[in-house]
Amino acid sequence: MSIEIKNLEHVYSAGTPFEHKALNGINLSIPEGKVTAVIGQTGSGKSTLVQHLNGLLLPTAGSVDIAGHHIESGSKPKNLKSLRKDVGLVFQFPEYQLFEETIEKDIAFGPKNFGDTPEQAAEKAKNIITKVGLDESYLDRSPFELSGGQKRRVAIAGILVQDPSILVLDEPAAGLDPQGAQEMMSLFMNLNKEQNKTIILVSHDMEHVLKYCDEVVVLENGNVKIQTDVKEFFKHPEWMRDIGINPPGIVQLKEQLTAKGYDIDPDIFDLEELAGQLKGQVA
Amino acid sequence: MDAIRVENVEFSYDGETDVINGMSFAIPKGSYTTIIGHNGSGKSTIAKLLNGLLEAKSGNIEILGQKLTLENLQSIRDSIGIVFQNPDNQFIGSTVADDIAFGLENHCVPTEQMQQIIEESARKVGMEKYLDAEPANLSGGQKQRVAIAGLLAVSPDIIVFDESTSMLDPQGKASINAQIKELNKMKDKTIVSITHDMDEVAQSEHVIVLQKGKAVLEGTPKEIFANDKLLQEMGLDVPFALKASKAFQKAGMIKEDCLNLADVVEALCPSK
Repeated sequence: MSIEIKNLEHVYSAGTPFEHKALNGINLSIPEGKVTAVIGQTGSGKSTLVQHLNGLLLPTAGSVDIAGHHIESGSKPKNLKSLRKDVGLVFQFPEYQLFEETIEKDIAFGPKNFGDTPEQAAEKAKNIITKVGLDESYLDRSPFELSGGQKRRVAIAGILVQDPSILVLDEPAAGLDPQGAQEMMSLFMNLNKEQNKTIILVSHDMEHVLKYCDEVVVLENGNVKIQTDVKEFFKHPEWMRDIGINPPGIVQLKEQLTAKGYDIDPDIFDLEELAGQLKGQVA
Repeated sequence: MDAIRVENVEFSYDGETDVINGMSFAIPKGSYTTIIGHNGSGKSTIAKLLNGLLEAKSGNIEILGQKLTLENLQSIRDSIGIVFQNPDNQFIGSTVADDIAFGLENHCVPTEQMQQIIEESARKVGMEKYLDAEPANLSGGQKQRVAIAGLLAVSPDIIVFDESTSMLDPQGKASINAQIKELNKMKDKTIVSITHDMDEVAQSEHVIVLQKGKAVLEGTPKEIFANDKLLQEMGLDVPFALKASKAFQKAGMIKEDCLNLADVVEALCPSK
């Protein structure tokens, strides 16, 4: 079942001098089982939009249908708990939200709140920690003695332990080293491929969007500016510049070489294929 | 003279495992130096050791020829300033102007001069319109610019950026990077940038690679990226332009390693 967002509006601090309309009537259909990127400049409404997906923010107008839940303006959503179990939201720098004295307790916090016994929750924590690339020996350690990248894994384990069918990730790889970023992204891609989880990725990193995503949604001033498949999006560097984003290296290279008179297949996004195609054209 | 000398420094958070494990390197005065290394290699820890936020277990740190000790901590901190990754952790003032003023107040700068310095520093980072704004209402990129303005106001000779742009959007990142370069060129400041952005590394003059608490490679970007296999083994990346030039070398189309895209295009199209 896809995620259906209809005429979604959100106004912050309504009725005060600080009133600000962050979402301006969003209409979106986000496909199930795919990886969808949400991009746009600071202030375009990305964070406001994704916080509607698990009911952290409620619509001022319009509605959201997600994982069998219906959220609309004017009424309190039913079963908020189960909505938040089905839709896992990982904030930017989730490691700042760790708080327990051991990693096991931190990961088990969610399941216990959702009604598991301490033993069940501990068992789940044990099962999930290896999925994020840490071994069981970490469970008794304090989350605060880990490196930044390890902390983030623990924080993400705390979301994955609920086994959400939809994962919303806000800049999950920001601040990680290249290998750490790649491992983090592979983790999510495996969840998508092996367990068919729907992934929504908010990212500024166009290399990641190009490499990992199926669909792209571009927000601007609280509106959907573009929704398209990822290849189509990267055929248009002008769309990226329009919203203040640097195209990925391969797109810039293709653009500059085309300007020099090379004939390049627009569907190529791989360096080796590009080299192969250009080879025949060198005088 | 070196701006920073680090000799055989050891440091441990828990008294058992050394996160800095006999680290030695030198950063030339007036240089734009980048420090790279995977998470946990000791990058942020060494930054905190440089201005005495942390105290080394053993070894020597010299800042502009002056040995870092408890006695001269204050004068060391006058010459080296750090911008951290998360600007939310470094705000003190209730307005942007107050926040920029904080360092100046600590340096007993007269009020008349202060106003002028605050405005000038804010202008340099493009935040002059926000002097009366509350820091909490700014975007991440704007906050980071205010943090930089606070440092510019005090104007230390050495400025360390600890992944200061990793949470900014691409535009914010580009404007901060331009600011870093300008400081280095125009003001002859020594700039040390701890970063994962290999394109930024390619733009710097001097690169230090950290691994397991040691400095394992030091040199110009060209020299460092010549070890591309080693870097990849260490979990680090290389600039896209270098990957591209390798791909075209493999196809027999160009000969040289390039560190920026314009050089790749130039090498491919000498006559066009």
